[in-house]
Parts: sequence; structure tokens; C-alpha cells
Amino acid sequence: MSQVNPAVLSPPPQQVSVREDGIVRKLWNNPKSRYSMLILLMVIAVGIMGPWFAPHDPTKPYYESLLAEPSAEHLLGTDSIGRDVFSRLLHGTRVTLMVAVMAVSITFFTGTFIGVTSAFVGGVVDTVLMRIMDILLAIPNIIMAMAIVAILGPSLTNAMIAVGIAGIPKYARLTRGSTLSVKSSGYVEASRAVGTSQARILLFQIMPNIMSTLLVYTTLQIGIAILDTAALSFIGLGAQPPTPEWGTMLSEGKEYITDAWWLATFPGLSISIVVFSVNILGDALRDILDPKSN
Amino acid sequence: MKQYILQRLASGLIVLLGISIFSFALIHLIPGDPIRIMLGENATAEQVHALREQLGLNQPLVTQYFHYLSGVLQGDLGTSFKTGRPVLSEILERFPATVKLAASGMFLAICIGITMGVLAARFKDTFIDFSAMSIATLGVSVPSFWLGILLIMLFTVKLGWLPIAGGTGFRDLVLPAVTLGVLASTVISRLTRAGMVEVLSFDYIRTARAKGLGERAVLFVHAFRNAMIPVVTIIGLQIASLLGGTVIIERVFDWPGLGSLAISSIASRDFPLVQGIILFIGVIFVLVNMLVDIVYSLIDPRIEVGQTKEGAS
Repeated sequence: MSQVNPAVLSPPPQQVSVREDGIVRKLWNNPKSRYSMLILLMVIAVGIMGPWFAPHDPTKPYYESLLAEPSAEHLLGTDSIGRDVFSRLLHGTRVTLMVAVMAVSITFFTGTFIGVTSAFVGGVVDTVLMRIMDILLAIPNIIMAMAIVAILGPSLTNAMIAVGIAGIPKYARLTRGSTLSVKSSGYVEASRAVGTSQARILLFQIMPNIMSTLLVYTTLQIGIAILDTAALSFIGLGAQPPTPEWGTMLSEGKEYITDAWWLATFPGLSISIVVFSVNILGDALRDILDPKSN
Repeated sequence: MKQYILQRLASGLIVLLGISIFSFALIHLIPGDPIRIMLGENATAEQVHALREQLGLNQPLVTQYFHYLSGVLQGDLGTSFKTGRPVLSEILERFPATVKLAASGMFLAICIGITMGVLAARFKDTFIDFSAMSIATLGVSVPSFWLGILLIMLFTVKLGWLPIAGGTGFRDLVLPAVTLGVLASTVISRLTRAGMVEVLSFDYIRTARAKGLGERAVLFVHAFRNAMIPVVTIIGLQIASLLGGTVIIERVFDWPGLGSLAISSIASRDFPLVQGIILFIGVIFVLVNMLVDIVYSLIDPRIEVGQTKEGAS
């Protein structure tokens, strides 16, 4: 066997590996991403522990205090049937985190699978898969999610599935593009030349090197998933009452827009803060991991 | 050029066929019996049989699809299950309101986006740049329906300047159009800034400044035109996606457009109407994108087949 320069077999130096310890430090050193990480850590803590600290049962109506303004008893007021808005908001944080994890996992795993398969197998498989993705891309995200909810029926789980599926086409295209560029690089060619199996190339060379791009997009996708699921709930096609979900709470708040400003204000503010933090973090990650795409 | 346009038309046609298959398949993907779901649990066997006959669901799948496709090509998208009216009439009745909203939103988005982008690039790394880009990031993070509600709270409930919702007049249009415009402007302002920053670093801009041209002439005569090429494309693509974005805004402002129709048809499980709306929006989206690509290729002859979308996004 001919001698191969080991440097050719190693990933190119400009690629930053996701495993590199420096990423968290770099994010921490940037004030914008530091604050967004802190906010997101708090949101995660509230999502996990919030329901234990909620002062009231989120679904229990207090008929003696309907549409009560924010006070010491009800920090963020009560809704039209006297439920405590603050407690509902705390419980809603967990729902939002669930949405982020579930919807984005569906997008990530299926999209990566389709994209990598398409790029790696090539030929007819690539053409057919990408044509299908083009067709699905022709339908706006939210309309696609609505169509899927129409099929599955309105519920929070179905909304998460719908939003997850609706995100797949863009993700698959992105993964395909990244895989193709890694696949054609010198070290993969060299590996192939020395007889490395396809599976090894895929697992140990292609996957680690497309991860940085995928991580950036996945982070940004979290924001999109939270917004779209809340939107579906807002129009009545996602979480159903009395589930304390932020989109549903906003929808209920809209009905009392003239009498109770707090009902629509706080859930909207919560969604915005979480999505804004995720987007800032995603932008910072992109600057660190994938500066060319900016 | 001719070859590019023909290829673009051919690929558009394939996508259109795909959308027709997707909208056709919608009803067949429903778990369980779609007829039972549409009619409810209390439907009699006769009713179920009659509707199955009417929708042609008792025929082989391929026959059903070609029947559906030939109907679509003749402008027959089926009959609304709830109102008994042709689906196309229902859609065309609502479509002008959606176009009116989307067009006004787009107009505002272009005005706001380009102004903010040019300002941010001109005053790069200053407070103006930071503010404009923060607003742009905020714009993609704030839910459209919340922004809409906040605007109603301020301009309708608090100040009483504008009507709350329900009409289609100019005063009713202001708030939904502003909501849509502000959110759609974020992409335009980011892209304008990026384009302008790049162009402003080129040598010919330095030359223009060196020969004593005023800053306004440098910005608008020399830099702006060249920075606008990707922006024009994204504006074209935005027109189509705005049609999707209006769905939620229409709900907030009770705007009687296609989005409201889509939501109510899904809620009432009126599947022929849902199918029709998906098909209609998909077709509009593809046609607009195709038109944008062709116009773009005429403006910028360097573009080639297969590069368009990636180059644009």
C-alpha cells in the first residue's frame, strides 16, 4: 500500500470540532451569548422545577377573583375563570421546553438522515429525495404544519410533530449541502483511497465535520419550533384548553384585550424572551463554528 | 437564456405536480376513515356511503388521483363539505383580501428593511448599527400574533385611533399591515446591511470617495444598486412566504382572507376545502418563485440553473 501523508487524513484545520472545549468558553466570553445562555439556563431550571414552586394549581379556577389584576396574591393576575396566570406561565415553561426538544428532535434526526443519505448515496436516490424536499419547501412552513395537524387532528403532541416535520425539508437540504462539501474534501478522498469502509467514513469523518453546521442550525430551529407551535396553539390547532401553554394563553388573552392587559402580555413576553435568547445564542454559535455562512 | 427559462419552467412543473399529489394525498393520510371523521360519530351508513360516492373515495387510488388532477386542471377543486359551494369560489372570494394585506405588508417591509439596512451599514459598528440589528433579531423572535395584540392594545384600546378588527377598509388594514411589515422587514434589513457593508469595502467605492463624490452619491448611486441584487431576490421570495405569514395575522385581526378560511376549514375538518387551499397556496408560491428566478436571470445574466435558490438565500 502506498504511503499516505497523515496530515491529509486528518480533518482540515479550519474546521472547529463541536467537542472542542473552547466553544463554551468562547460563548461565555461574548457578553450577548453569555446573557442569553444565562437566561436559557434559568428557563430550563424553571421548566424543571417551576411547577413545584407554582403558588397555585394552574388549572384551578378562583371564582371569587375573575380577571383580577396583578397583586401579591396573584403575581401576574388571574384569567377569565380565575386561574393564576403566574402558575400557568411556570407550568407553560415546561410545555415549551418539551416542544423545543420534541419538535427539533424530529427535524434533526429525520432531516439529517435524509440529507446525509441523499448526499452519500447520490444518483437517483439523491434526485428523488431532493425533488420531494423541493415540493415540500414550496409550501410555507406554517401552512405545512397546519396541513399535518389537519391530518392528525388538533392537539399539542400533533402540533409538535407537525412543526417537527415541517422543518425537515430545509434541514435535509442543508445537511445534504454540508455532507457534499465534506465528502469532496481531500481527507475523505484519501481515506477512500486507502480502503476505509463507507460506514467508517460516514461515522468518523463526515458526521463529526458536519456537526458544527448542524448545531448552529438546530439552535436556530429551536426558536422557529417554539414560535410555530405557539402559533398553532394560538389559532386553536395546538394545545387545547386547559393546558397551560403560552400560545393558548395568548389566544385566551386576546379575547379580554380591553379588560385584562396582563393576560396577553406575559405569555407573549415569555415566548419572545426565550426565542430571542435562543436566536442570539444561535448567531453567536454561527460566528464561532461556521463563520463563512454568516 | 431561453434554455434556462425552459429548464426553470420544467422544474417548476414537476414541483407543481408534486404539490398536487401532496394535496391529493392529504385526505388519504388521515388515520381512520376520513368520511367518519368529517361526518362525526352519529352519521348513518347511508350518509357515509353517499359522501364516499360524492368524493369518489371508493375508486382505486390512481383513478382517484387522475380524476382529481383533471378536475384541478379544469378549475374544479371540489365542493366544500360544509357550505356545499365550489372550493375555488370560496378561495377566490377570500384571496383578494389576503393579497391586499400581503402587498401592503410587503411595501412596508421594503421601506423599513432597506432604510434600516442602509443606515446600519453606513454607520457600521455604531449605536445605530447595533440598534437596527437588535431590532432585526427581535423581529424574528417576537411572535407575530403577540406583536399584533400589542399594537391593538396601544392604538385601539389605549389611544382609540384605529378600529379593533373585522373590516377590510383602509383603517382596518393599518395594524395588520404594520405587524406583517415590521416582521418581514427583518430579513430585508439584515441582507441590505450585509450587501452594503460588502460593497462599501470595494475599491471602486474608495475611488468614488477619493475623487470627491458626496457621501449621498456614493451610497445611493454607487453602492446601493450593487448591494440590491440579493435583496431583490429575497424580496421576491418573501412575497410568496408572506402569503403564509398572513395566516396567523389574519386570525389576530379577524381579517377575512385565505388564512382565516384555512384555519376554519381545518377546525371544521372540511377536507376538500383544506386540500384546495394547500394546493392553491402551493401553486401561487411556486409561480411567484419561478417568476422571481426568471426575472432575476434577466437582471443578472451570470446566474445559472441550479444556483438560483442557494444564491438567493
